Amino acid sequence: MTTTETISVGFQNRAGTRSLINFLRNWALPILVVLLFVLSIFLVPKFAELTTIRAIFLQASLIGIAAVGMTALTLSGNMFSLGVTPTVILGAMVYIWVGEGTTSMWLGAAAAIIVVVILGIIQGFIVSLGLNAVIVTLAVGSVIYGVTAIVTKGALVEPSEKVDLAGFATFDIFGIPLPIVVFIVFTALAWFLTEHTLIGRNVHLLGANKETARNSGISPRATTVWAFIAMSLGFGIAAVIASAQIHSVQADQLPNLTLDTVAAVLVGGTAVTGGDGSPIKSAIGALFIATIAQIMVLTSVPDGLKQLILGIVVVALVVILHVLRKAGSR
Amino acid sequence: MNDKVPFRLRASGITKSYGAVNALSDVNFELKAGEVMALLGENGAGKSTIVKVISGLIIPDQGEITIDGDVVQLNSVRASQEAGIAVVQQEFSTVGTMTVAENLVLGQNGAPAWWSPKKLKANAKEILARVGLEELDPSTPVDKLSVAEMQLLEIARVLAKDAKIIIFDEPTAALSDAEIVRVLEAVKRLASEGRSIIYVTHRLGEVFEIADRVTIFRNGRSQPAENVSDLTVDTVVAKMIGRELGHLYPERSGVHGEPVLEARALKVPGIRGEVNLTVRRGEILGLTGQLGSGTSELLKALAGTNDVLAGEVYLEGAPVDLRGRRRGIVTGIAYCSPDRKKDGIFAGLSIRRNLSSPWLRRVSSLGFVSGKQENDEALRGATNFALDVNRLNALVGNLSGGNQQKVALGKWVGIRPRVLLVEEPTRGVDVGARAEIYTQLRRLCDSGVGVVVVSSDTNEILGLSDTIATYYRGKQTTIKPATEWTEPALVREVMHRED
Repeated sequence: MTTTETISVGFQNRAGTRSLINFLRNWALPILVVLLFVLSIFLVPKFAELTTIRAIFLQASLIGIAAVGMTALTLSGNMFSLGVTPTVILGAMVYIWVGEGTTSMWLGAAAAIIVVVILGIIQGFIVSLGLNAVIVTLAVGSVIYGVTAIVTKGALVEPSEKVDLAGFATFDIFGIPLPIVVFIVFTALAWFLTEHTLIGRNVHLLGANKETARNSGISPRATTVWAFIAMSLGFGIAAVIASAQIHSVQADQLPNLTLDTVAAVLVGGTAVTGGDGSPIKSAIGALFIATIAQIMVLTSVPDGLKQLILGIVVVALVVILHVLRKAGSR
Repeated sequence: MNDKVPFRLRASGITKSYGAVNALSDVNFELKAGEVMALLGENGAGKSTIVKVISGLIIPDQGEITIDGDVVQLNSVRASQEAGIAVVQQEFSTVGTMTVAENLVLGQNGAPAWWSPKKLKANAKEILARVGLEELDPSTPVDKLSVAEMQLLEIARVLAKDAKIIIFDEPTAALSDAEIVRVLEAVKRLASEGRSIIYVTHRLGEVFEIADRVTIFRNGRSQPAENVSDLTVDTVVAKMIGRELGHLYPERSGVHGEPVLEARALKVPGIRGEVNLTVRRGEILGLTGQLGSGTSELLKALAGTNDVLAGEVYLEGAPVDLRGRRRGIVTGIAYCSPDRKKDGIFAGLSIRRNLSSPWLRRVSSLGFVSGKQENDEALRGATNFALDVNRLNALVGNLSGGNQQKVALGKWVGIRPRVLLVEEPTRGVDVGARAEIYTQLRRLCDSGVGVVVVSSDTNEILGLSDTIATYYRGKQTTIKPATEWTEPALVREVMHRED
């Protein structure tokens, strides 16, 4: 038929430009990370040392696990959580308390993850009633911070000498620190669940168009709660790793974690509006942010300037990705 | 108008290509003062590109545009507006929370910086009268207007700019027949004031009603303009698609089996009184009425997205629970909404993901989606609705309106529907895709699926349905076989029914 021919010719031609744009959109950040590494090896003192690379990946693991979890929420069309720091800190404290009490780091880890997931389910229910996820997570995060600060009276929560709770940070698997292994496995698992399970696909569809999803028989409420559960799993695991890494926890630690996590998701290229993105992208986003931060530590950039540079880089990348997404779907 | 400048607007040799594709090749187009020129063509034929060229959104590679004999450079929307060209958009550009009168002075060139309430109202009254909205209170917030009133207000806004060439881009796409009449009257009035009108539409009926001449586009080329009086619907369609269409509507089987869907004493919000309906195997039941007649609400109730107040619905003899889409899908009730962009497709996802969205659960076990089953079933749906099976990874948002509609319909094949409920199956769809959609609906029906079509396009209802139920202001008025209706009688029934 005449129409089909004309349309398909135009389509294929535009498809050429489009696939170039989409190639850029998917590969710009990985290429940027590689370039950053290569340049830094030559330009930044001490960058090429094993301890530096190790530090980058350890930092990326913490941000990355939280960001991979949060990708589920962003994909579902609920933007992001602004309560990452207090949630992770609470989880880290639960890990120490239960780990101490039971003298088992495994039980401690299980308790931390369960507490964080339960908090996630509660927030998921509130959001599924029609409230905005950003506001709910900010408010609940604030409540969690208040409670932890009051309970601990602002003091350090520290494990005693008799129990070793640092195991999750000090284990090596073939020389690779456990947090990095967990990061990679969690990312792969998150990707598989997003792409190949009913719940993962429903989360994606809900974010792509809520009304169409509803008409297709997908329950927006149940799916939103599932997105919160997936996110909280990431926060719970991040809490255990953070606790094992930093050893002792205080209510006002990790002040930048929330923004770093949000930045990792956005820089990675997952759309704020939902329905477009991947946990793998967020993982690479986390690696990018950890790399920039480490470079600035090595080159002794003052703290204020560090934040400024990181902020500018994130905004620039998010704008470029947004423009590419628009162009790619035209 | 003197003899030297017989044309208000003349575009000659307009060419625009994107890479190797010619969106427009050597297009010649002319517009006389005070005439209504209809632009026709299938999706992608070039009619929207030439409109964009004239409105300054696209700069052509070659060619020349003259207005009243003078060559003009329409390099921007502003240049186009200054040349006296205005566009009535399909999308509304009014501000919902402001009043009608305020919206009419928004963005008006050379308007005074301050309006007294009295002057604002008088100005609005005058403009509104010219589009047939004289009874509308100018202090009404735009939010409170009907879709047709908003469309007329959109025209009024253009009038406030006092343009000599006005482009209408499918102004009636979302309107019912009675409301279309008001818009068409406004268009005629504008032409009688000496303004030149370019009218883009998918509805052939409108062309014969208001246009003086027609320019038909095909494959990026224009054909010489012709007087409407020299044309018939069949010749126009043939010129648009380059061949005889044959019958737009597929043949009826005429054999009806046992009931598939039955509604008994059904009461739903938006409908006065009780509704009794039966859809039998091999039968397409058409529900028709103007906007506000209740057909849309009734179909949504059957789909499970609108409340049911009382009554019962039976599917193959067994009562069904109509609360929520999920239950409906499990029992085999498919529902295709009238507004595909809003709630029928996922524009940002691939054709495959769109097709599989309602039946993912069926191709999953223990929560894991079987990629192979998903792909096989998606291929089946795509083949059924004449979608290119090699393009299943293409984003649905990049497809033409017709192909998007095929996706919105084709996704339901995979739930193995027993009943298919469709509202406005061909809104914003070109003629070629329309024929394919009708054929598929008929084929599904012949395979034993009960089909219910809601449409405000009486021609479509008459051509497609076996049985027609009519609705007027929230009341079911008649149910008769389609063969007992003629189009004028049906139009009269849904538009001017005497109570």
